[in-house]
Amino acid sequence: MNCEKCQELIHDLIDGALSRSDELLLNTHLQECLDCENVRQDLSSILTYCQTHRGEYEAPANPQAMWLRIRNVVEAEHPAPQIARTRSFLNGFFGRSWELSFPQLAAFTAAVVLCVSLITVVGLRRWGTGPLETTRQFEASNVNDRVWQRQQVINYWNQRIELNKVRWSAEMRATFDRNLQVIDQAVSQSLNELNRNPHDEISEQMLNESLNDKLALLKEFSDL
Amino acid sequence: MREIGFWKSPTPMKLSYLILRPLARAGLYALPAVMVISCLVPGQCHAQQKMSKRYPAGKNVRISLKNISGTIVVESWKKDEIRLSATIESPNAHVVPKQVDENLVVDVMNDNRGRGDVGDVNFKLQVPVDSSVDLETRRGNIYVSNLRSGSDRAHVSSEGDIELSNINASQVVAQNTIGNIFFDGEFAGGGTYEFKSTKGDITIRIPGNSAFRLVAASPAKKIALGDFWNNGFRTQDGRKYVGDVGDGRSSVSVTNFSGQITFLRK
Repeated sequence: MNCEKCQELIHDLIDGALSRSDELLLNTHLQECLDCENVRQDLSSILTYCQTHRGEYEAPANPQAMWLRIRNVVEAEHPAPQIARTRSFLNGFFGRSWELSFPQLAAFTAAVVLCVSLITVVGLRRWGTGPLETTRQFEASNVNDRVWQRQQVINYWNQRIELNKVRWSAEMRATFDRNLQVIDQAVSQSLNELNRNPHDEISEQMLNESLNDKLALLKEFSDL
Repeated sequence: MREIGFWKSPTPMKLSYLILRPLARAGLYALPAVMVISCLVPGQCHAQQKMSKRYPAGKNVRISLKNISGTIVVESWKKDEIRLSATIESPNAHVVPKQVDENLVVDVMNDNRGRGDVGDVNFKLQVPVDSSVDLETRRGNIYVSNLRSGSDRAHVSSEGDIELSNINASQVVAQNTIGNIFFDGEFAGGGTYEFKSTKGDITIRIPGNSAFRLVAASPAKKIALGDFWNNGFRTQDGRKYVGDVGDGRSSVSVTNFSGQITFLRK
């Protein structure tokens, strides 16, 4: 499990809404990753604080109006009616009690098996021998996208550094360049490893940490 | 009238003897005088400034030091006071320590904003044994010794070694980009310890009965757990080790990209 997915699931973990297997996976990751564990602790403390201090806040002048405003903002951001319609259809479909005779059940099962087989055969013929390759390319491009996004932030700090660099001593400039080069090497090695093996968790961890280190180095030196 | 002059001297001297030698002698006397004067004129001299201050302290002192460049040495002593000594390379540099309650804050970065390059400032701090320290520098070594505190943090943004000797703290963070990290101390139950270097060796020397949960990662595959290795450790092709030593009461994370990770038993 990577940090991104872990941090998405932490809310569910705190709410107790995770399946046992997901909970196990998440806990394993939390034991190994201090950053995610810190996020979990932060969220827990916020919740605990809210629970402990419930009712201690000052009520707004018109709670009903405020609630409506919040709802309007949320609905404006998400296409709520569509979701609601889909949910109501699905709820109706699955909420209904189905009573099938044995022949009906057998026919339904046979139909499902036939459909799945057909889809599999057609899929294999159409897309030939390359599903693994496609998945690998997709995952590699996913990683590159994430790196690209981080690179935008890094570029911003790089520009600030370039502006300030003229004020530094030659020794400080050499130190900075040397360290940046070491981190860049770490980033590029992790990327190469991930291109070879997109599922390599250690390379992903190292890539994240190297990018974080690079960002930290740039931010800290931009103050000089 | 008889002309008297060296040109018409009865014992003619050489030009060099009469003119050049006195000039050379005068120069010889003048040189030290010029050097002394140049040192007295402000802006011409690069002599180091020295600073030494003492602050009263209770038992739970917290030191926060943010340096730009230079060595930081922190050691404990038996007095209930803090002694801060600094050697300041540049006359332009300002160091203005501030004490708020039990916290001593030194922020060289903030004190010298807009002053350009202020060179090295080397610090030596003597503090009560229970003090917590939060030390940062952009460049330079950090040495901390003989502390039994709540938390110790040593952060070198770029290059510099970090040496933490005889440390017993519930939270330790040591991080640099290029340079070695050495920790010699004890892991407290329930404590968290994080050591991270991009390019450098990390050596951890702890008692044989230490109990901790370890996550150690190094793509260079140079992880030596020594006496602390056991069959319970899970490893991913030698690049990462996760497992408990003893009952795993404290949490230890060690990461480097290239360099050796070594665990030694005291």
